[in-house]
Amino acid sequence: MSIEITQVGKKFGDFTALENINLTIPDGEITALLGPSGSGKTTLLRIIAGLETPDTGTISLFGEDSTWKQTKDRKVGFVFQHYALFKHMSVFENVAFGLRIRPRRLRPDKAEIRRKVFSLLSLVQLESMANRLPGELSGGQKQRVALARALAIEPKVLLLDEPFGALDAKVRQELRRWLRFLHDEIHITSVFVTHDQEEALEVSDNIVILNKGKIEQIGAPEDVYDHPANPFVYGFLGNVNLFHARLDKGVLNLNHAEGGAEVSFFVRPQDVVISLSNENGKGVEAKITGHRILGSRVRVNLKTIAGEKEIEADIDKKQWALIEKENRETIYILFFGAKIYSKDETWSDYAI
Amino acid sequence: MNTPAIIKEPRWIKPALIGAALIFLAVFIFIPLVTIFSQALGSGFRAYSRAFSEPDIFASIRLTLLTALICVPVNTVFGVILAWVITKFNFRGKRILITLIEVPFAISPVIAGLLFIFLFGSFGWFGSWLMAHNIKIVFAAPGIVIATAFVTFPFVARELIPLMEELGKDDEEAALTLGANGLQTFFKITLPNIKWGLLYGVVLTNARAMGEFGAVAVVSGVIRGLTTTMPLYIEILYNEYQFNTAFAVASLLTLLALVTLIVKTVVEHFIAEQRKQKLV
Repeated sequence: MSIEITQVGKKFGDFTALENINLTIPDGEITALLGPSGSGKTTLLRIIAGLETPDTGTISLFGEDSTWKQTKDRKVGFVFQHYALFKHMSVFENVAFGLRIRPRRLRPDKAEIRRKVFSLLSLVQLESMANRLPGELSGGQKQRVALARALAIEPKVLLLDEPFGALDAKVRQELRRWLRFLHDEIHITSVFVTHDQEEALEVSDNIVILNKGKIEQIGAPEDVYDHPANPFVYGFLGNVNLFHARLDKGVLNLNHAEGGAEVSFFVRPQDVVISLSNENGKGVEAKITGHRILGSRVRVNLKTIAGEKEIEADIDKKQWALIEKENRETIYILFFGAKIYSKDETWSDYAI
Repeated sequence: MNTPAIIKEPRWIKPALIGAALIFLAVFIFIPLVTIFSQALGSGFRAYSRAFSEPDIFASIRLTLLTALICVPVNTVFGVILAWVITKFNFRGKRILITLIEVPFAISPVIAGLLFIFLFGSFGWFGSWLMAHNIKIVFAAPGIVIATAFVTFPFVARELIPLMEELGKDDEEAALTLGANGLQTFFKITLPNIKWGLLYGVVLTNARAMGEFGAVAVVSGVIRGLTTTMPLYIEILYNEYQFNTAFAVASLLTLLALVTLIVKTVVEHFIAEQRKQKLV
């Protein structure tokens, strides 16, 4: 295994950034460190790079204890959120930097450096920009140069700190698809930090979800999305309706009446189905309190008649048109794929 | 462009303010400058050159240049080290250190001079030890250099700290991950980023090093031909009613200051250019 993190802890003054982190990063895959700000994800990445030292625990890179090894000797490629390109150097010089500063006996000759830099620039599709200064590039181009520069030293691991964070929405979309594509070509072990769950789900092979300096869950994207370990993970990986209810012999009781066990009830807005009739008798009576059209989807705000719970549904525009035409006082809602988190901290699926 | 009426000032304000600024400049800067040169050259060019035949003049020029030549490089190196330490590392007492850098600016130069008399004078803390080893600091060139270095110490660091804080650590960290060692990172990454700010600090240090009077007057003991820098020598000449010579030396010192100012203006121009480039 390429990176092994054992019992790592880090404090900044009174603030605990990381606590007892144990993590193995698999070879040749993209791992996302996902979490809200202040969850310690960037600190963990910087500890792997040697830009920060852990207070406790060890980091081993490719079977070698590297906890106290200097950054320059770790052979890690690092891509910064704000690019950190050298402003006074051309694109070519930026990418060549890591090769040119090597001690003489390890330094490739000029022709070799040139060949290598241009092959990397072609990989990031920026050959024509070799003589430009970073100030003359767009954000997306800058980040591609930063990536080429990081790859020039032939790192064993590529670390990316919110690499798309400073880009606008469209460029970000493009660049993360491109990063996935690039990785399928070169298969370098990569770790990237993000607070954007969509980005993590789209780009990575593995997701590590962090919160308040601790790991909440590790798994493949579909794993963590479909089988969240706890309410935090569920809530963080997308919008969610959460309310407390009672469960009596498999029947959801929204009233706070007695009987049954009290549970937390989770359902994603896209798993809320609005129905005009109550055919199987399992629908919950509700009324529509508002809606907002978001392009091709419609977000509908509902309130249950019993218990007055606010629920958000995310439905198709065509379906919304039908519902709107009928203009019923009361409609029925059904929950597909809802999750129940009971007091004893176990998950179960709610089946209709 | 239409300015909203609420922030529009009366028509006469602009010319009035510009006029006031120009009159102020004329009275307090331009006329005195002209006076120095006209007084110096007033009795003809021959009298001016005769003034420079006095041997003590050359001693004072030499001492002034020597002082600047030692203080400027020393304060440049320490200023860069201090700015580096303060902006790149986190440690306890950092705020106190930043405040301490300001001390030479905050206290009167005369007090700075006295401080070194207390330290190195014959009745000072190290006085008897220095005397025993036959080392003269106070009332000699070393004292002048030390006092000047003290007074000019903050310029470089004060210029660099805000600049380096704004630049952040990303570039240096990027260089480290690419395999650069500390020295390579400093010379290839940090120095190009801060070079104009650094030069500006150096120019200010030089201007003050050549012109310092108060601190130097106290530690030098004003021994003619031995411990008189140009500003001190000008004052001696003036007190002896040798106006011609006094103004001749003053014109030379002013000329050095003006050259410094021109260098400073050029440097400022380049700093502005660099800012503009960064914005593109």
